[in-house]
Amino acid sequence: MSTPPITDSPQLAASDPPLQSRDLDRVNNALVALKDTTPSVTGSGTRSVPIGAGGSLLRQFDESNPSKITSQAATPPRSVVGIGGKVEKPDYSEAKIILAMVGLPARGKSYLSNKLMRYLKWLEYDVKVFNVGQLRRSRANQKREQSGVKEDHTASYFSHGNEEANRRREQLAHDSLEMLIQWLKDGGNVGIHDATNSTRERRAYIERRVAKEKGMALIFLESVCDDPEVIAANVALKVSMGDPDYKDMSPEDAKRDFLRRIKEYEAVYEPVTEPHLSYFKIINVGEQATVCRIHGYLQSRVAFYLMNLHLKPRSIFFSRHGESQYNVEGKIGGDADLSERGLKYANALPDLIRDNIGDAPLTVWTSTLRRTIQTASFLPYPKLTWKSLDELDAGVCDGMTYEEIELAYPDDFANRDDDKFNYRYRGGESYRDVVLRLEPVIMELERQENVLVVGHQAILRCLYAYFHNLPQADLPYIKIPLHTVIKLTPKAYGCDEERYTLPIGAVDTHRPKPKTTQPGSPSKLGTGRQYYAENI
Amino acid sequence: MVAPLYTTDSGLLFHAGKILVVTVGLPARGKTHISRALERYLRWAGIKTQVVSLGDYRRKTIGGAQKLPPDYFTLGMKSPETIELRQKVLEGCEQLIWDFFNAGGQCVIYDANNGRREQRRRVSEKFDKEGIHVVMLESICDDPAIIERNIRSVKISSPDVCSGHFLSSADLTLPPLVKYRSWNPDLAVQDYYNRIKGHGKDYETVDELDVPSIRIINVGEKIMVNNVRGYLQSRIIFFLMNIHNRYRTIYFARSGHSLHEHSYKIDADLSDIGWEYAAHLKDFVLDRRAKSLKERGLDPKTSRLVIWTSARRRSHHTAWPFMVAADPKQQGGPQCNVKVIEKPQMSEINPGVWDGLTVADAKREYPEEWDRFLKDPYTFRAPRAESYHDLSVRLEPTLIELERQQEDLLIIGHASVIRCLLAYLIGLPPSEIPAIEVARGDLIEVVPASYGVHSQAYHFWDGPGRTHGEGEGGYGDRDPNNFYENYAEDTREKKHKVGYGDDALDSSEQQVREV
Repeated sequence: MSTPPITDSPQLAASDPPLQSRDLDRVNNALVALKDTTPSVTGSGTRSVPIGAGGSLLRQFDESNPSKITSQAATPPRSVVGIGGKVEKPDYSEAKIILAMVGLPARGKSYLSNKLMRYLKWLEYDVKVFNVGQLRRSRANQKREQSGVKEDHTASYFSHGNEEANRRREQLAHDSLEMLIQWLKDGGNVGIHDATNSTRERRAYIERRVAKEKGMALIFLESVCDDPEVIAANVALKVSMGDPDYKDMSPEDAKRDFLRRIKEYEAVYEPVTEPHLSYFKIINVGEQATVCRIHGYLQSRVAFYLMNLHLKPRSIFFSRHGESQYNVEGKIGGDADLSERGLKYANALPDLIRDNIGDAPLTVWTSTLRRTIQTASFLPYPKLTWKSLDELDAGVCDGMTYEEIELAYPDDFANRDDDKFNYRYRGGESYRDVVLRLEPVIMELERQENVLVVGHQAILRCLYAYFHNLPQADLPYIKIPLHTVIKLTPKAYGCDEERYTLPIGAVDTHRPKPKTTQPGSPSKLGTGRQYYAENI
Repeated sequence: MVAPLYTTDSGLLFHAGKILVVTVGLPARGKTHISRALERYLRWAGIKTQVVSLGDYRRKTIGGAQKLPPDYFTLGMKSPETIELRQKVLEGCEQLIWDFFNAGGQCVIYDANNGRREQRRRVSEKFDKEGIHVVMLESICDDPAIIERNIRSVKISSPDVCSGHFLSSADLTLPPLVKYRSWNPDLAVQDYYNRIKGHGKDYETVDELDVPSIRIINVGEKIMVNNVRGYLQSRIIFFLMNIHNRYRTIYFARSGHSLHEHSYKIDADLSDIGWEYAAHLKDFVLDRRAKSLKERGLDPKTSRLVIWTSARRRSHHTAWPFMVAADPKQQGGPQCNVKVIEKPQMSEINPGVWDGLTVADAKREYPEEWDRFLKDPYTFRAPRAESYHDLSVRLEPTLIELERQQEDLLIIGHASVIRCLLAYLIGLPPSEIPAIEVARGDLIEVVPASYGVHSQAYHFWDGPGRTHGEGEGGYGDRDPNNFYENYAEDTREKKHKVGYGDDALDSSEQQVREV
């Protein structure tokens, strides 16, 4: 049995030139030497060198060695030359899941469905929440606009004894399920049916309906909570966070009405025990969980994700490494040491963090690259080194400046700007590849309490996008400046954010998307309850 | 990832602590199966794990059933000698657990019935006091078909059935009950049933909510988790959620020869030889599969084969002939039903600054790193490179997905990636991973069985570039490049290879290859 490698202690006094420039010199010399010879790539006597986009070697290779496709086929396999290319989104069309929520009001159903949606969307699944309450309100609004009649949506509407209301609620549940199924047929992946679905009868109805569709998996997700404090907090949240049903009520009245509504549901509530159904049951988020008849990898991943969630208050801090030598020179990739200013930042970081969390426990995560390890070196907390946190691999462009790349491969360079998320550097990674690589990190981040991630620009963009639910197209342009600590505090329906910039100068490494409007700081961030279901 | 997504000085997981998994369940409920699967997984992930089996310990220290007092297994009152004997076995077993933890172990799986609440409470309090996290892992089966399958495959299976196959090390430690070796299987099942029949009466299921527990019903049909916290524990749950015992086959083949074999970054396309290889691979796989599907009564034209490739061109293009063969628009209709999935997580091991270097270059430029690499090729990470350990971590989600996969699967990958996955399936220690030989032109067939896997290699192609040491036609005598990815081929004395099966090429040709 072997022990994992121990990471080298950072060497801050750079008496030797950094490894990287030594390598590059060697590569450059070799490239110059090879300039006018055709590369003999398979001969045993030739000294081979790493091939990068600098110099002419890569181009010569591409031109002299076209790969032949021997098969006759309608569409030939993709062939990439140059420094990389756009990669299609993977085919997720086989994933068709209906996730039907079960649970009394104020048990965190919407919390779980929003979390899940954020996670799955980050992984590029097409997810949509079909919120029955939302549909009820928008129908009622329509009715009021057309006929002037205002429907009563106070607790009495939810009473089991109110037959007219019962009938209307049945109809709403039916309609929203039909919309969900249609949406899946039109290409969606995961439809979340956000309703109470609290009786066996209702669940049996959903089951019968879904059974008529081919290739759709139905899973119930029941959220049970018997901790009075959590319920009370959820009720307070619902009342204070602008629940549309209580818009015109005083908070006291709203609370009273809402508690009555819960009572009406409790009277008929039947927990999921049907042994033939697929279901997850989450009890007091993080305490107990049951997983029944779960088939398929995506489903099991969803179950695993739900099991890792917890509600303890905590903060997540992101910081890029201090300014590096490569940052100063405008080069990408590499494994350079910190610049003088970067070192200053590393020295100032411990005080900034302590001012923020006091004596609370904190774990620091870094990548395996020198610049993050050096940045974290003065922090008096336990540290973990993650290979998965290493910067996006720029492949053949590693160690070049953007200007050099643009000069050598102007078309490819423009392609990357055209679709940065999907662009994979040759011999390197795309942003999508990084997201996939970071998935286990997100899982672990959900499980942890206070964490400071000392990372890299592309890595932190991906993590940040997860916490703020930002779309893939905007992800590669998120601003994560140097010498700035970003503090995220997860709340019920999003994250609070604070940024602390230290007054230590650094170069700006942000490259805005050319000729288009910048997605600024996302405007809708915050902890307010968001109804993700679109208005229908 | 299970363990070291990250690294710590002690070699233990940073915040996982020491864990004791206590299995609970009646006989023939698959406890041992689950224990061994978990052990294999955790060890592969670099966690020092050990199964301590009460039954094995008793057999080793006291002997088989014939040496035990007659009331040892029966229900009801026991004689003082039996009580003393049982106590002795229990204490000896617990001592083994302590010994393993004291020697730096991180996880012990205690494989015993533990069917009494009071018994479990004692164990959990005892270990908890010493700061060890105890988790109960209960396996419940109320489906007679599953119980009978367990009895047949574990308790009475004859060693003859497995002869000729390469079995995991776990199999060798688990002989079927000696008693049944020469029995008619049906009678043996009946006899075993009678033996365990009474046990249910005294059994108390895990319903104590103050102890962390994982309860598995009918081999994963339902899983209930109570109060289980911690990183490693949560990985254990995820693993248990994904294992299944449906019959399927996993095939491995290397990607074809490429235009430039010695650079990670250049991501070269297939050479002419590579395209030729790809066509051969398609023919051979479809042929092999047709035979095996026929035996199982399935239609090879419709029964789907899932193919995973990396996002490297040579790997993805090696799957191209399969896509062509599956094209419904061709004459005569599709030859097969395949789905090709490109997985960027399956790229070969990243050689970092050693990309494209020869051994001589690497020795000269990085003498210190080179020494460390030779000492420990599994954990050593060259500058900016990945170690095999890093690669295993990267592949872990893929591995879980592989466990979950129910259809037949062909992985067209790189030698380093195939090594890691194969080591997990076969149950090899991580330190041996870099030395597993995976020759181009072999199809490795792996069939998961009750305690491990059956694996065989079929040699189907013999062109240039089969291994890096041989070949003709300008492919070099011993190509010194790309040693990082091809380290195994360079470590002759440490070779580990999968045995060849009957359908392989002539044995004379094999001899040539095996040097």
